[in-house]
Amino acid sequence: MAALTIQKVNKVYNKTVHALQDITFEIQEGELFGLVGPDGAGKSTLFNILTTLLLPDSGDIQILGMDLINDYKQVRQEIGYLPGTFSLYPDLSVKENLDFFAVMYKSDIEANMDLIRPIWRQIEPFSKRKAGKLSGGMKQKLALCCALIHRPKILFLDEPTTGVDPVSRKEFWEILQTIRTQGITVLVSTPYMDEATLCDRIALIQNGKILGIDTPEAIIEHFKGTLYTFKSANIFSLLEALKRCPLQCNYYPYGEHCHIAFYEDMETAMPQFLQFLEDNQQEHGDIEPIRPSIEDCFIEIVKMNRHE
Amino acid sequence: MRTILILIKKEFLQVFRNPLLMSILIVAPMVQFMIFPFCADYEIKVLDIAFIDHDGSRITQDIIHSFDASDIFVSHGIIQNKKDAEKMIQHDKIDILVEFPNQFEEDLMNGEATRIAITANAINTTKAGIGVGYTQEIIGGYMQKFQEDNMFIASEEQIPARLNLSYIYWYNEQMNYKNLIVPGILVILVTLIGCYVTALNLVREKEIGTIEQVNVTPIRRWQFLIGKMIPFWILGMVEFIMGLFIMKLVFGITVQGSIPMLLGITAIYLLVMLGLGFFISSVSENQLQAMFIVLFLFIIFVLLSGLFTPTEGMPQWAHYTNYLNPMSFYMEVIKKVVLKGSAFVSVQTETIVLSVMAVIVNTGAILSYQEKSK
Repeated sequence: MAALTIQKVNKVYNKTVHALQDITFEIQEGELFGLVGPDGAGKSTLFNILTTLLLPDSGDIQILGMDLINDYKQVRQEIGYLPGTFSLYPDLSVKENLDFFAVMYKSDIEANMDLIRPIWRQIEPFSKRKAGKLSGGMKQKLALCCALIHRPKILFLDEPTTGVDPVSRKEFWEILQTIRTQGITVLVSTPYMDEATLCDRIALIQNGKILGIDTPEAIIEHFKGTLYTFKSANIFSLLEALKRCPLQCNYYPYGEHCHIAFYEDMETAMPQFLQFLEDNQQEHGDIEPIRPSIEDCFIEIVKMNRHE
Repeated sequence: MRTILILIKKEFLQVFRNPLLMSILIVAPMVQFMIFPFCADYEIKVLDIAFIDHDGSRITQDIIHSFDASDIFVSHGIIQNKKDAEKMIQHDKIDILVEFPNQFEEDLMNGEATRIAITANAINTTKAGIGVGYTQEIIGGYMQKFQEDNMFIASEEQIPARLNLSYIYWYNEQMNYKNLIVPGILVILVTLIGCYVTALNLVREKEIGTIEQVNVTPIRRWQFLIGKMIPFWILGMVEFIMGLFIMKLVFGITVQGSIPMLLGITAIYLLVMLGLGFFISSVSENQLQAMFIVLFLFIIFVLLSGLFTPTEGMPQWAHYTNYLNPMSFYMEVIKKVVLKGSAFVSVQTETIVLSVMAVIVNTGAILSYQEKSK
């Protein structure tokens, strides 16, 4: 059963900025769904709409069988929201924040302790500390506790790992996996492509449009080009030279490597490419085929959409 | 109920943990009380005076000496040159210049008309007016005594009828400006706590994003606003009571009327101000904007309220504007109850107006508070 059905949702700011365009997708009950896209793609706008903070201009949203716009009061009881920025009371202690939000949701801490215990255990030693004085990771865990204290059926997390160190990020995703086992549907947004593979399904979003929705594996499966990676002594001059490359290809720097996806028959294309590099006096390391990552897929999908 | 209680508890915890807010709430009003009444004082305590004496007679000497006996005048003696005297006025060294003409004594003795020129520095009109009045009083007093002592030179009918003006200032017997200013400060204090602190508080929640986190909970907006209001309403009342104590202990002003009634009307006035504060915060994006709006309204309220200038002297449009100024109604109540000891009958109009304002402003505040944005 679908926990969340979004149909043709539009939102325009100031009559000019089309933040969301005909967003349509479904999230199944118990799913861990990722919304992946760069900054400014419209992720936070969509979250604000889904958490009843913002009204869409048009479109229909069904959440847990309720109409999001008309039944927003009941909806609020059933959803949990972790905003992109830390927004608990910095001058209240950890415990006071938790107490406060428990009462706001007319919920009981003891009754729901089993749900949050794995997270709460980590911050309990600091329960008397002011929330504003916690480290970034701890703040995030407290915010998660507060968002879960009423045992929501759907949890919305807006870029929960942005600006968090790699170790804490990994830990946070482990927590998300355990939350899901409790039967809570999770919608999480992230600008980090590597995190996308941890979701059951992902939606790629850019400029307010959904570019593709699928499981991470299927998205990788559907990569159309043939991807290679290689090192170059001078990436900048390489990229300049590649602009003149006659082959059908898509190239971009990827860390200290260069990724290049060819849309050609490789048996004939590769020798041509090597010749091209030689003609342009480009030194390069070994050119190796590589399995595309979600990021490669995203870049390809964005590129294809631009051409359409 | 549990929801509202935890909102109140949260608000108090935050207030007591905010050292800046605590000092604003406790220290600022005290300091205001201790300093402001002494500055905002219209009483003229010192008048600098000098003389030009073209006559140099016994009478002019006597008159000049009679100024020495006054507590208010500080005599700078006789100036020889008129130019020097004018310079002294220009440089603000003297406020009043008295010039005796030639043959002053002679003309007086002969019963002929003679004139004394009194020049006043009217940069401060109040001071000039009062100064000239005092000067005339002293000279007039001397002349009267002189005429009585020298009956032989004047005939019966030349003696002006003795007319003594005596002033009795009701409700403020010593014409002590503190009696007016101190209750006025009480009004300012309650207004500031009510409007300023609440507006800034709610807008701060907007700034740090906590309001979103509260808005996604099922709590209703009226619950949220009541949970915000009660703590600041209590704080405002505590401030007011503290102010009453200072008024009594430091300035010796006792509330003439009924204190419970005064507290009751203050409670209503606070509701108006709290509602206004919330209204302002819901239309402001950040603390700076809220501060400017409050400041803008506050200055208009204070100037029109009659604290610094009597409302009777204001033009008609100002009177009409004042019908919208909650502070002027409350100022009336404070003046009447604290200084006059008026009973409820004479402040019931103000009470009704304030109650209506409280209802309107708070309805507006609840309606304007956006839990969902468009």
